[in-house]
Amino acid sequence: MSAPGGGDLAARQAELVAALVAGGPLPAGFAPAPVDAARRALLRKRAGDVARHWPLLAAGLGDAWPATFAGWADGRPTNGSLRDGWDLARELHRRGELPRLGAEELAVREAASRYDGATPPRPRRLPALARAGGAVAVRLAGRVRLLRPARR
Amino acid sequence: MTGPGPTGVGIGWRPEIAGFVAELPGLRFVEVVAEAVAPHGPPPPGLAALVERGVTVVPHGVKLSLGGAEPVDPARVAHLARVAELVGAPLVSEHIAFVRAGGLEAGHLLPLPRSREAVAAVVANVRRAQADLPVPLALEPIAALFDWPDDELDEADFLTEILDATGATLLLDIANVHANARNRGADPLALLDRLPLDRVAYVHVAGGAEQGGFYHDTHTDPVPPVVLDLIGELCARHRPPALLLERDGRWPPAPALRAELDAIAAASGYPAVT
Repeated sequence: MSAPGGGDLAARQAELVAALVAGGPLPAGFAPAPVDAARRALLRKRAGDVARHWPLLAAGLGDAWPATFAGWADGRPTNGSLRDGWDLARELHRRGELPRLGAEELAVREAASRYDGATPPRPRRLPALARAGGAVAVRLAGRVRLLRPARR
Repeated sequence: MTGPGPTGVGIGWRPEIAGFVAELPGLRFVEVVAEAVAPHGPPPPGLAALVERGVTVVPHGVKLSLGGAEPVDPARVAHLARVAELVGAPLVSEHIAFVRAGGLEAGHLLPLPRSREAVAAVVANVRRAQADLPVPLALEPIAALFDWPDDELDEADFLTEILDATGATLLLDIANVHANARNRGADPLALLDRLPLDRVAYVHVAGGAEQGGFYHDTHTDPVPPVVLDLIGELCARHRPPALLLERDGRWPPAPALRAELDAIAAASGYPAVT
């Protein structure tokens, strides 16, 4: 517990952000319900941001997008919208829950860039082939094309 | 070259509504999210056309984290400065908020404790930013769903101390005035009566929605009548030079967006831009 004006603003801000995005405990003195409302509002904001970077993934999930994203993102701090959407798409792919549009978007992204899951994706320089959910995308001569759509 | 300061009714330029914005005949003022503009240009095509037309473009930063306890990242200030030069902006704006701490990104604007320590942190960061910006900085108070447990100052004193110490102007978000009053059970007019309204550079107007017992400043819902009424209350006290509609998603059909711009013009007495 921190005293007001104790010169520990940095630590208290860090505690608060951890509570909001990383599943950390509620810092002392804060009202639980408003902070929880803010936590959920942050998840909705993130869902919208990621949907802008991964429009087909979000469209493929339709009405289930906000809950699907929130379920995955709760307690998981953001690595930026591009990587968040990428990680979620791979996770849904592993679970066999990636919708067709999302599979096509993921295949195209995997063909275009190399992403190790830990550092920012980097554009590929060499020809590459990527698959997800039956979708096949290829990067050839600097252009990325979807060769085959995902399975219906 | 630096254009004139914001005047009249404007709209937040977003790529999704670039076509709509381009066709607003009376438009003299837009805002662009600074982090969305590549620093070495050229500006996005639709925005460049507005600059050509002499429309005032104000870069609006959202990730500087001026309220962070750590010093503001000089690279982020440099980016904001470059965007200001790219669009010939007369000023830039940012928030009185923090968006990251302890190596974690919150993903949105978070409130500060209204304490002397927080005032000192904001003032230090605003001065660092001002030293590297080519144009004046306007500061925007945010909508907060929660307060810190150890507030020493009320909102008006907190903001006035920051403005006094930095010489920054105020970007007043009238929807945030509603949101904070509604969520704290306070009177929005009491806040308007105590804010330094003569220092307002321009005003934000945005939509929101009631959800789970709170008013959420979503920017993806219509502007509620209560916020339009507050524009009237604000202008009766001191009319700001400009008001800007912020919409960030769930775009309505063009007639609905035009109607919102017209409602802001009607509430403030400025000419319609549609």
